[in-house]
Amino acid sequence: MDMRFTPDELAFRDQVRAFLQTELDPELARKVRLHQHLTKDDMEGWHAKLHARGWLAGNWPTEFGGAGWTAIQRHIFEEESALAHAPRIVPFGIAMLGPVLQKFGSREQQDHWLPRILNGDDWWCQGYSEPGAGSDLAGLRCRAERQGDHYVVNGQKTWTTLGQYANMIFCLVRTSTEGKKQEGISFLLIDMTTPGVTVRPIVLLDGTAEVNEVFFDDVRVPAENLVGEENQGWTYAKYLLTHERTNIAGVGFATAALDNLHRVARAQIHRGRPLAEDPVFASEIAAVEIELMAMSTTNLRMLSAAAQGQAPGIESSMLKIKGTQIRQRLDALTRRAYGGHALALPATGNEGQPQDADEVLAATATWLNNRKLSIYGGSNEIQRGIIAGALAKG
Amino acid sequence: MDFQLSDDHRMLQDSLRGILTRHTGEGLWPALAEAGVIAALLTEDEGGFDGSGAAVALIFQELGRAGAALPLIPTMIAGAALAQAGHEVPEGTVLAFADAEPGTRYDRGVAIRADGDSLTGRKTMVAGAEDAAAILVTTADALWLVQPGAPGLTLRGYPMMDGQRGADLILEATPATRLGALSDFGRPLARGVLAHSAHALGTITAAVDLTLDYLKQRKQFGQPLISFQALAHRAADLAVEVEQARSAVVNLSGHLTADASLRDRHLQACKVTLGRVARLVAEESVQLHGGIGMTEEYALAGMVRRLMTADTAMGDADWHLDRFARGEPAWA
Repeated sequence: MDMRFTPDELAFRDQVRAFLQTELDPELARKVRLHQHLTKDDMEGWHAKLHARGWLAGNWPTEFGGAGWTAIQRHIFEEESALAHAPRIVPFGIAMLGPVLQKFGSREQQDHWLPRILNGDDWWCQGYSEPGAGSDLAGLRCRAERQGDHYVVNGQKTWTTLGQYANMIFCLVRTSTEGKKQEGISFLLIDMTTPGVTVRPIVLLDGTAEVNEVFFDDVRVPAENLVGEENQGWTYAKYLLTHERTNIAGVGFATAALDNLHRVARAQIHRGRPLAEDPVFASEIAAVEIELMAMSTTNLRMLSAAAQGQAPGIESSMLKIKGTQIRQRLDALTRRAYGGHALALPATGNEGQPQDADEVLAATATWLNNRKLSIYGGSNEIQRGIIAGALAKG
Repeated sequence: MDFQLSDDHRMLQDSLRGILTRHTGEGLWPALAEAGVIAALLTEDEGGFDGSGAAVALIFQELGRAGAALPLIPTMIAGAALAQAGHEVPEGTVLAFADAEPGTRYDRGVAIRADGDSLTGRKTMVAGAEDAAAILVTTADALWLVQPGAPGLTLRGYPMMDGQRGADLILEATPATRLGALSDFGRPLARGVLAHSAHALGTITAAVDLTLDYLKQRKQFGQPLISFQALAHRAADLAVEVEQARSAVVNLSGHLTADASLRDRHLQACKVTLGRVARLVAEESVQLHGGIGMTEEYALAGMVRRLMTADTAMGDADWHLDRFARGEPAWA
């Protein structure tokens, strides 16, 4: 057993740190740290810098223009990026669609779409959930009907993150109602500028509108935009979900949140002393820090097993649950640490805000926004169902 | 980054598993000694041949899984401490480690005091004391050696929750040899915490496996219990916590020889995590079983009692959490 990074991995970490040091604009890092709104330019600018370095698609094989990193390298990159408060790479093209096209797409689709993901020509979003199909995703009803060399799409998608910036959406659509509900689903690539596509923002409880509803009204999609085979989309969708696993634990985000919590607890005054010295509060921080120490090693153990070729099982479900629990506990403690100062609404426009309160507002915004962590990507209850299902078989 | 067992440790694990299926009760200790398992707990300097965190973790996990109740942890701690202090380590025999005191939770040196070269006072919950060839005793800040037949020493034996025998020690001006300051023995004590934690992890996995088997096989309302979501989700949560516990043991075993401050943080984190998860598994496994889980006849009973001892020995989760939060070392 050896818990150290190899010399190669340490050298890689140094490269990542040096890159973040020189390329990450401090003002952008400040916005990320304070949970402030990132513009499309902010995100695209960061993508472009990573692409110039060849690091935008760490998870892609080199033959497709990716960096071909190991799971450990990806982990290092994600952790260092989080600690430096770099914007996270928008996952829809890079982490989600890319691996599906590489595995199931035609040669033409790969040649056409993959370079456009890397160079920023396309901004992808994800059309999975529907108003009636959330946790029960296979119950989706958005319909695609083949008419000659086109599919005609009618229906609605929802929770479409950053759909307002996207020009392309990959969708799970129903192409058959026969047999099991999982068997009539297809994976379709849709140009959002096609007539009949409407995007409507959904304002969330933190005041932001990062998610949207997307409506399809007789939208004509060229049949060549079907990925793989008709009615096999569920297989591709599941592949996509398992492929998005390396950063599911969010160790880097949690570590950055813990550092911030320690800083806040040292600065806030409680009974005339720093809050960090209050035994009740300090032991709550300690308990979650100890959880993070273990989860970080759970994450590395699972990455290391995957790197040695062990088939991924229920590990990502376990990391999803524990990782989101830890982050939500950290968010709650951070907001609590501010006590009576944490009452203002995070900025929603130009309506004013309390003085010297950027970080307090960030704590509130983060708490509100991160309620999503235990809901998206398969809610934690869905993950428990997956784990229990595997335990019942094992 | 490599979390695999080495070839040597895999062989050790195989041989240990074989012994644990063939021997129980009185025959187990000599079989372990003969197979070199006990010597594997000590380093070469201490008269053994391994003593690494990985070896200690794997041996006690297997013992915990098998439900073995032997005073091996105090023997290991005392052996390592005696060797470090330049004393001869009695071979093949039980050694005792007297740490807890009545009425003081985990504070040391309240019920016992040193006066020159003698100790007066009480120690309690001393596993293996009745059979020990040497007894190590803690005071507020020092570690002492007391011979079993020393004048003024009285032992009162009793059964312990984990199936071992323990004893109260009553010392009245009992001659003792000071081995050194307690803080100098951070490494043997850390190895003791690792052993307790790994033993608990072994018991945890055994109890969770037994519980899952039961959930799959027991039917109510015409269906296996695991098909009921309220139970299935609790089982899933247990599985997640088992991995947390495993990682905490990996962290301490990987940092056993690290700098004292880093080692102690992992020690505290490990003890907090194992204490918490052991309690959770003890409580949940009984509840998920229902009434059968409370019967002495069923295998869970012994596991539950052993799980409850895991938290209590060498500082419980609350005690270590408090010191972790304050940034204090593991031992005063």
